This record gives sequence, structure tokens and C-alpha cells, in this order.
Amino acid sequence: MNGLHGIIFTYERRGNLQELGSIRSSASIPFGGRFRAVDFALSSLVNAGAMDVGIILHGHYQSLLDHLGTGKDWDLSRKRGGLRLLPPFNYKGEWGAMPYRGHIEALTAVRTYLEEIRQDYVVMMDGDLVANLPLSDVYENHLKSGADITVVCANDSFMTEDGTYFQVGEGGRVAEVFVSPHTPRGLRGLGTYVVSKKLLLELVDDCAAKDQLSWRGDVLQARKDQLNIQSYIWKGYAAQIRSVQEYYDRSMQLLDPAIRADLFCAQRPVRAKNADLSSTYIGSGGKCVNSLFGDGCSIEGVVENSILFPGVTVEAGAVVRNCVIFKDSIVRKDAQLSYIIADKDVEVLPGRTLMGHVTYPIVLAKGSKV
Amino acid sequence: MKKECIAMLLAGGQGSRLYVLTGDMAKPAVPFGGKYRIIDFPLSNCTNSGIDTVGVLTQYRPLELNSYIGSGQPWDLDGSTGGVHILPPYQGAKGGTWYKGTANAIYQNLGFIDMHDPEYVVILSGDHIYKMDYSDMLARHKAANAACTISVMEVPWAEAPRFGIMSVDGDDMITEFAEKPKEPKSNLASMGIYVFSWKALRQYLIDDEHTPGSENDFGKNIIPSMLGNQERMAAYRFAGYWKDVGTLESLWDANMDMLAPESGLDLRDRSWPIYARSISAPPAFLGGKSTVTHSAVNRGSVLEGLVENSVLSQNVTVGEGATVRYSVLFPGVEVAPGAVVEYAILGEGCKIGPGCRVGGTPENTPEGWGLTVLAPGCQLPEGKDAKAGIMLNRNGEEVSK
Repeated sequence: MNGLHGIIFTYERRGNLQELGSIRSSASIPFGGRFRAVDFALSSLVNAGAMDVGIILHGHYQSLLDHLGTGKDWDLSRKRGGLRLLPPFNYKGEWGAMPYRGHIEALTAVRTYLEEIRQDYVVMMDGDLVANLPLSDVYENHLKSGADITVVCANDSFMTEDGTYFQVGEGGRVAEVFVSPHTPRGLRGLGTYVVSKKLLLELVDDCAAKDQLSWRGDVLQARKDQLNIQSYIWKGYAAQIRSVQEYYDRSMQLLDPAIRADLFCAQRPVRAKNADLSSTYIGSGGKCVNSLFGDGCSIEGVVENSILFPGVTVEAGAVVRNCVIFKDSIVRKDAQLSYIIADKDVEVLPGRTLMGHVTYPIVLAKGSKV
Repeated sequence: MKKECIAMLLAGGQGSRLYVLTGDMAKPAVPFGGKYRIIDFPLSNCTNSGIDTVGVLTQYRPLELNSYIGSGQPWDLDGSTGGVHILPPYQGAKGGTWYKGTANAIYQNLGFIDMHDPEYVVILSGDHIYKMDYSDMLARHKAANAACTISVMEVPWAEAPRFGIMSVDGDDMITEFAEKPKEPKSNLASMGIYVFSWKALRQYLIDDEHTPGSENDFGKNIIPSMLGNQERMAAYRFAGYWKDVGTLESLWDANMDMLAPESGLDLRDRSWPIYARSISAPPAFLGGKSTVTHSAVNRGSVLEGLVENSVLSQNVTVGEGATVRYSVLFPGVEVAPGAVVEYAILGEGCKIGPGCRVGGTPENTPEGWGLTVLAPGCQLPEGKDAKAGIMLNRNGEEVSK
């Protein structure tokens, strides 16, 4: 069958996300005022015509499961194919508590699922990538270039934790691969790969036979000379959410209209679960500038340079500056927040003052009462 | 499969008193409250009340409404038994007709109701904004052992002559019904929401159909003839917010009520959610030079100007230096920089050019003040104004109300 099959990896734990990442996989981190990180990979796939998407899970995936549901928000709730959740221990006989140590180990664990893929080509993506990628264009380039593997890269100055970087030579072929380098060089890999189903199975089997676990190290790095690995450069917005600082900096970029126009381009809508809340209400005392608001917020105070998720309440006299406030959190009257990332259901009591810094945003854990 | 109670939603009305707003769509499909359509209210009430089977009777310009309802999934009305069903008029072996009246619309769908074999049928309108637990009304119906229960609310005596007025006895059983009485005997107004025991209603519908000269209307024919036959008719008192949004003024009023929960219309109350079909759009952005107060805003909107006392739907843009006051903007409206919009209802996708003035305040309009209404798709080029109280069609031509 022609077309693309999507596989999204969500098993990686990112310690630097602090409380944001300790209760959920990074794929289900709220981002951009109404989305979860995984919405971007899912939407990119669906917008490229992918009808089947597998999600590889491992640990703390309740939040992600709640978000994904049957996949109907992405039109992936299908009679045949559609969304396929791939929890650990389903395919391998053995038990264990160890998280996957690499994409290859994760793929080996779902070997039977890989065999059942009905498309000829597979796009592998990371659940924590926030980018609206034109995957049909990537796919076309993959076919045209005759590549064995196409890696999608960004050519920008951003760095990411545990990143993969590529040096490319003539015609865009990957000449060198750096895995989690101390000093990044070359193009930043976006964890997005196009490969044929046939080659993917061969690689998984070959690696498994050699006790190799890592896609980046044991495939890309080790076989860059045998395989024709081509790069596809994405010039738009592409964030990888792996630390609190990265989360904060990349969120705040969305206050720039040009970045929003790129990430939320009309041709490729980003789909997300709907919260079923009413309109956002800005009260008579509300003073909101340069900020994003999800549905169902109720604002009587001051909100500046901030991103508010659905259902956030800011009471009269409260001041919220340079903050990201997750769903259903409440800032009581006369409280003052700046450079704060408040997780879901946080309540900041009247008159409290909390300040982080642009280089050190403070995270308030889910449900905490300050 | 047998159902205890199903709902039939009358959504076929043209809504002629909404004029240009319903030029291309049925009244229940008209946007409301920034993110809803009017029909979201009865549909959400059904699902919240535990009614999982709803027949929607459509007739006038149903495309928009049908595509909005779709599979019924946004309201959880896509179950494997029941769900939401669109019921247009149809042709049978002996021909067919349009729905002649509200009762005839139900009569033509006896087969649909019989298929579900319910004990009770709830009859609803597609043009009311309210939150009501129909299961509570059904409980009243059962307790009263009634053939028909009509929900009523107290209205100011002065306004009673505008409504269908019920007189009741000590047990709140209806003794008399008067349609728009000059001298009302009671101030209990019918809200146009009925619960019937299906067996009884079925017979009355058949009899009514064979009564020459009948208008085949619930209020004018079915209810009076049931009363005449001494059927047990119960009143169900409703005390919450309820508004018929059949006119431009009442539609505007209800939108303004939504901004102030003190009005009784609290859409932020999570215990009784109103569901709507959602769109893919980023969160609303309030720009660095925006001033937004006492207003509702929705996703996909980009606001850079002054917005006061207004309800803004999804994907609305208000440019820098523009002013929007006391207005209702439907989805996709664009107000260019420097334009002024006051006391207006702007239909879907209206484009107001730079510097245009639309509408005016009652204070600044010496005579003939009224709401200014622009049809969906109306474009006002730079420098053109739309005076207070006028209405423009899709082509920007003035039409009379």
C-alpha cells in the first residue's frame, strides 16, 4: 500500500523537565495554550495523509492515553488501522521495569506490529517535537533522492538536550552523525525519519541479532557509509521540549505572530482534543496584552506576555506577567506572578508573590497550592 | 430497541425575523455566544438529561445545519442505538408534502418514533437559549400521571400578552390555555417545551391530521384539543434562564446576557456543559495594543484594537486602532484598523474596511436608532459606512427589516 505509516516514540524520560515531566511523558506536555506536544506530530502525519499511526509508550503514559482517547480528534479512530497504542510488554514475553534504551529496542519490542504495517513507508517521529512539518513534501523528497533513510533537520541556532546533529556533504547526504554531543555541530536533527518498511524491518532484525539498541548510534552513526542517508532541511519553527528552560523559551516564541503563522499555517491545521469550555471572558477589570488565551478563561486581572491554557482564572488585582499557566489553574486576587510555569489545577492564594527569571522560570507542580 | 424517552427537535423554521442572518441557513444553525450554534443548547440539554435519541426535523436551508450536526459526536449523540437523526420531509408512495406545521412535522415521522417505541416524547424548539434538565420535567410528567406536560415560566404581567399563557389549579395542572391573551388570567408562559405520553400524542396527531382546516400546530391545535378532551395536562415550572432568540434584538440581548452570569445564563458552569462542534485553531491572541474588557473571545482570533461589551466568535480579527463596542461578531469577521463597530451584529466572514463606521450608539443617534446588522459575507470597503439601525445583505445593499 502506498502512503505513509507513522510511528511516534514517547518513551523517553527527560529529567530536566522537572515536575512538568515527572507526572507525564513529554509527549503529553501542554504546549501553546491548547495543545499537547504530541498533537503536532499527529497532525503532521494526518495532514500528510497517514491513516495509521502507532504510539510507542513506556511509563507514565496515563496522561497521554487520556489525551489520545480513540484518536478521533485526529480522525484516527478507524475501523481498519487508525491509532494503535503500543504499550510495553505487549509483544515481548519477558517482564521488566527498565525503560527502552533506544528506538531499536523499542521497535524490537513491537516487532509483530511492524510486520503488520500495510504501508510501504514509515515516518518515525518523537512525541516531544513541536513543529508543523510538511511530511508529504519530505516523503516526496525521500522518493526522489533515492535515499535509504531521510532525516529531517533544522538549520537554526537552537540547541536541544540529548540532541542528534548531522553534518551533511554534497547533495545533502549525511556525512557525520553526532549523538548527544557536548558542543553541537551541524544541523539539528528533529527526530523525524522516513524509511521503507522493508529496510526498517531488516535494520531492526540485524540490530537485534547484534544486541544493538540504538537507532542513532547503531544505525545512523554506524551505517552512514553503507546507507544513503539524506537530509531534509525544515526552515520553520521546530522545538524539542526537553527541559524547563527549553519549554519556556520556545513557548514564549509563540507570542510572535510570524512564528504562530508558521506553526499554525492554514494548509496544515493542528488538531487537538477539545476541552468543551465556553468562550474566554475578559472582565471589566481585565487588562490583557500580548498574550494567548485558551477557551473558557476568566480574566479580571492583568495578563501580560503570557500563555494561558483553557479554564484559567485570574482574579481582580492579580498580575500575571511572562508566565505559562496550564489548564484550570487559579490566580487569586492581588497575587503576582512572573516567569512562572504553573501546571494544571494550581491555585495561587490571594496576595502571594512568586517570581522566577527569564533564565530560570519556576515550575509549580500540578495541583499545588501556593 | 425500545427507549423510555426520545426527543424531537423542531428545527425547520426559517427564522424570518432574523432576516439576513438566516438568508442561507436555518435559525438553529445561527452562531451564538462566541462558540456555539443555537441548536447546541437543546442538543446538549438532551445529552445532559440522559436522552440519547434525538430526531431533528429540518426543512428550511438545511445544508449548514446538517453538516454542523454531522454524526452527532460533539454532543455524544452518536451511540450505536439511538443518536441524532436528521429528519427532512420525504416522498412516500402517495406523494409527500413539506412540513405544514409543528404537529404535522411530528405526524410525518410517526414511523421514526414508533421504531424506537418510546413511552414518552419530548418536543423541543431549535431557537431557545436555556439550560434545562428534561429528566426532571419527565419526572414531573410521570408523577402527575399526565398525558402532556408543558414547561412554563413566570413572566412579568405586562409581558404576558406576548406569550401563550397557562392557567393552573392548585396542583399546577393546566386548566386553560390562551395564546397571546389581551387580558391574561395568569403569568405562566409556555416555553414551547412539551413532554407527551407517546400513546396519547400519537392518537391526537392522527386525529389532527384528519381535521379539516387545522393548522397542524402544537400550540394552536394539539394542546387546545387535549385540554378540550379533559386530558391530564401538567405544568412544569422552570425558573432558570430562558430566551427565545427569534428576533435580532433578542439574539443580541441573549449574547449580552452571556457576558454577565448574573443574568442567569452562566455558560462557564461546568456541571451542565453546552457542547459545540470545535474547530482547529490556535488560542486567541490579544496584542500589545489591545484593550479588551467585559467581552468574550474565542480561538483563532487576533485582537489589536479596543473591544468592549462584545461577543467575539472564533477567527475574528480586530485591527489596530479599531473599536468594537456592544456588538456580536460571528466567526471569521475581520474589522480592519481604524474601523468602528457599535451596536451591531456582523454575520460570518464580514469584512469591515479601514476606517469604516458601522452602527452607532443610541445616545448619538437622534432618531431611528436600532441594531445594525450585516449579512454573512458582507464586505464594507474602505470609507463606506453603515448607519445605525440599517441592515445590509451579502452584497452590501441596504434591505429593510
